[in-house]
Amino acid sequence: MTPKMATNMGGSRSGDWLLSALMGLAILLTLAPVVRLLVEGVSGPAGFSLAPVAEVLAQSTTLSALWHSIFTAGVGTVISVILGGAFAFLVALTDIRAKGALVFCLMIPMMIPPQITALAWTQVMGPSSVLLKTIGLAPPLGSPQPLHSPLGIAVLLGIQHTSIVFLTLRAGLRAIPPEAVEAARISGARGLRLWWQVVLPLSVPSLAAGTAMAFVTALGNFGIPAMLGIPAGYSTLPTLIYQRLAGLGTSVLTEVAVLALLIGVVALAGVLLNRLFLRRRAYGLIGLANRPLEVSLRHLRLPVELALWLVIFAILVLPLLALAATSLVPAYGVPLNWQTISLGGWYEALFRQPVTARAFGNSFLLATGAAVVLMAISLPLAWVMLRRPNRLSRTFDLLVDLPYALPGVVLAIACILLFINLPLTDLTLYGTIWIIFIAYIARFFTVMLRPVQSALAQLDPAMEEAAQSAGASLGRRLRTIILPLTAPAAAAGAILVFLTAFNELTVSALLWSSGTETLGVVIFNLEDSGETVMASAVSVAVVGVVIVLMGAIQLASRRLPKGVVPWQN
Amino acid sequence: MAELTLTALGKRFDSHVALTEVSATFDDGEFVALLGPSGCGKTTLLRLLAGFEAPTEGEIAVDGTLVASARSGKLLPPEERNMGIVFQSYALWPHMSVARNVAYPLEVRGFSRAERRTRVAAALEMTGLTDYADRMPAALSGGQRQRVALARSLVADPSAVLLDEPLANLDLSLRATMQEAFAAFHQRTGATMVYVTHDQTEAMAMADRVAVMDGGRIRQFATPEVLYSEPADAFVAGFVGDGAVVPVEPCGPSDTGDVTVRLLGQEVSARARVAGPDRLCIRPEDITLGDEGALRAEVRQCTYLGGRFRLRLIAEGGLDLVAFSTARVRQGASLGLTIGRPWGFAAEVAHG
Ligand SMILES: Nc1ncnc2c1ncn2[C@@H]1O[C@H](COP(=O)(O)OP(=O)(O)OP(=O)(O)O)[C@@H](O)[C@H]1O
Ligand SMILES: [Mg+2]
Repeated sequence: MTPKMATNMGGSRSGDWLLSALMGLAILLTLAPVVRLLVEGVSGPAGFSLAPVAEVLAQSTTLSALWHSIFTAGVGTVISVILGGAFAFLVALTDIRAKGALVFCLMIPMMIPPQITALAWTQVMGPSSVLLKTIGLAPPLGSPQPLHSPLGIAVLLGIQHTSIVFLTLRAGLRAIPPEAVEAARISGARGLRLWWQVVLPLSVPSLAAGTAMAFVTALGNFGIPAMLGIPAGYSTLPTLIYQRLAGLGTSVLTEVAVLALLIGVVALAGVLLNRLFLRRRAYGLIGLANRPLEVSLRHLRLPVELALWLVIFAILVLPLLALAATSLVPAYGVPLNWQTISLGGWYEALFRQPVTARAFGNSFLLATGAAVVLMAISLPLAWVMLRRPNRLSRTFDLLVDLPYALPGVVLAIACILLFINLPLTDLTLYGTIWIIFIAYIARFFTVMLRPVQSALAQLDPAMEEAAQSAGASLGRRLRTIILPLTAPAAAAGAILVFLTAFNELTVSALLWSSGTETLGVVIFNLEDSGETVMASAVSVAVVGVVIVLMGAIQLASRRLPKGVVPWQN
Repeated sequence: MAELTLTALGKRFDSHVALTEVSATFDDGEFVALLGPSGCGKTTLLRLLAGFEAPTEGEIAVDGTLVASARSGKLLPPEERNMGIVFQSYALWPHMSVARNVAYPLEVRGFSRAERRTRVAAALEMTGLTDYADRMPAALSGGQRQRVALARSLVADPSAVLLDEPLANLDLSLRATMQEAFAAFHQRTGATMVYVTHDQTEAMAMADRVAVMDGGRIRQFATPEVLYSEPADAFVAGFVGDGAVVPVEPCGPSDTGDVTVRLLGQEVSARARVAGPDRLCIRPEDITLGDEGALRAEVRQCTYLGGRFRLRLIAEGGLDLVAFSTARVRQGASLGLTIGRPWGFAAEVAHG
């Protein structure tokens, strides 16, 4: 087949130049920062040079931070897999009650910014804990905060990313046709054998995918190691980068770029390992998973339910209570009781500090903007990638995860490098809200694109061919056939983008300037300057907003098309 | 209404050859069936006609106008071919009501609202779906969905309608009803119809001409009665109708205009288009059973078909034959056979 014909395949060329332009723009947005970073990392004063790489790798701080990153992310991932896996198997396969409520509660930790998680947990433990003081259990002053340790960081990373494993695995479990399990039961398999020989092998791909994603996300996490590790002098790669940059400014960009690339390499290794592992083990599933499986737990049901809710209490309710308690005392360290209770911190943080209101506005605009823009470009893009694959689109497919997998700090630096001087002009985006916006688009591209892609891939191609035979042009097919059929997935993606962008800290931590603060930045700065009470107050407010938003979506879910609510799939 | 001309058409997927050397003309208004075993390239041929795939060899013309050519790279996109297609999976749009599904081709062509309404009503009426106009496809039975797909493919008066095993998912009685509906529609509109099936009875019952395909080639393209009585090769003889293909020695022309061949030492007079056929296609109707008879055969199996019995026979040389009988015959019984005017052909058929 000649190349000329290949481009003709599938017919109409009317919208083609538009789609190509879109593809170019998407590649520019997601890949340019990474490429720019790479260039910075391997350039010395006189062009290409590996000297900076060698220099940075030779420093003992680099190696220890690398090890710390791998250790905390690794242990954290194990915790995520145990918690998220147990929840997913029990919720997807058994007859426990109140599944909807469980899933909703399990989603909340992911939607809470990591630095708030860290702040909340330090309020659960340690000598200054308002909660412990109030109930008289606080350890004596001067005793160490147990969370300011590698294991403390790992545990919180694990809790933070439990829902990633949970969601991916549950989606996979739902795709298992009930007949596969029923056939095994008819053949006499029961209990653990059924689980071990049928369910587990069939869910391996989604479990592995969830594990890889949890690991990569933990690797790039900044909020938790920053809040827990920096006071203890324990650096991971993201916090090391932050400290270098905060201490020495932009003169260390090359060094920082190398560190950033190092995280990128570890993250990519994780992803590739996962792909390699899956290649040998992805079974095609035959049959339709139209009914959910419901294995009866019988007399074990109540104990299992109690255990699950206990976990929810420990990882969600307890830290939020501690956070709320801290936000209600007049000064950090004072026990909370009827004499001391005060709304001073709330009043000061929300109404006296103009930056808080500004940050709410900024975060809301950024999150909405990112969700809307991404929704608009993801659909045509996913269509081109599926129906007219070429080398360009395959490369894009492979690399679109990168800005998300890369730690936010890394992406932020890449964006600074890229936009500090706009090519051919004297303009700079640095210091404006646009640099944050562009970074968000790059970062959350994959969050939006992947659900749309999989919805599109599941569509019978004959749907579109039928429209084509009816005479519909490409634009018309996209609008009248593809769009309505993939809209639920797109809406789900948009909701996820909004919720994650609303709470984002790692990217904006380096990109903000006066006037463009985001919520994450405000909380981090308050805590950093010792205003723990105010930081807690803003955090509780943010968590409240998130829960109200999620609740509203949940309530509306009955009237929304199936698949719009991301945690319900 | 259109005449479809295929010239030396070929389609390769990477290294896999799905179609080769397909040449045929589907006449204006003809009902053509594509018949063949699974994987022989029927769907591929249909998708080439519709324009979803580009040929890697040869060309396709509609009413003499080239629409696809491997040589020049020309490919008229499906949306400009004015064809209707019914997919095996129906491909109804689940977010549109039955009426909207059917109206879509008209909307795309820019028909006025009033015109759309009358046309959709007529199409629904014809397929017996008037009462279901406002239903969503998910709330329809398999047969109803199938009729929606049909109505949708016909509503805009396409010049050709392509159907890919449209009845494969239906039960026997619904199949029969739908077959009648197709035939009726075809008669009323005179559209060229290309109908893919692997059910030979369906193909023979409905089509003006049947293209029997195997291994990416059209083995024979002829009317059902010619396929049955004068198969071009052993594959067609075996795939279409009942009976047996046996090797024979050619002995030259006979005085009646037939040819004479030698089968198990007996001279048999056969019809043929070649001078020296070395294969015979012996249909059950060609065999007369009796106690006398030059050939002897043993009954291996006797199956009741309703009204008559089908006998599987083993003749002297270990030859498998099939015959019909009006009475039940004991297994193992020995019968005499007389063979009257079977069809002879040459085993080596030069393709292309
Ligand atoms: N997109 C494709 N890529 C590679 N090979 C293909 C593709 N489509 C079809 N084939 C191959 O081409 C051959 C013909 O396929 P086709 O779908 O036309 O068969 P068919 O006659 O319709 O069979 P069935 O009756 O089972 O539907 C098959 O061997 C098939 O594997
Ligand atoms: Mg087929």
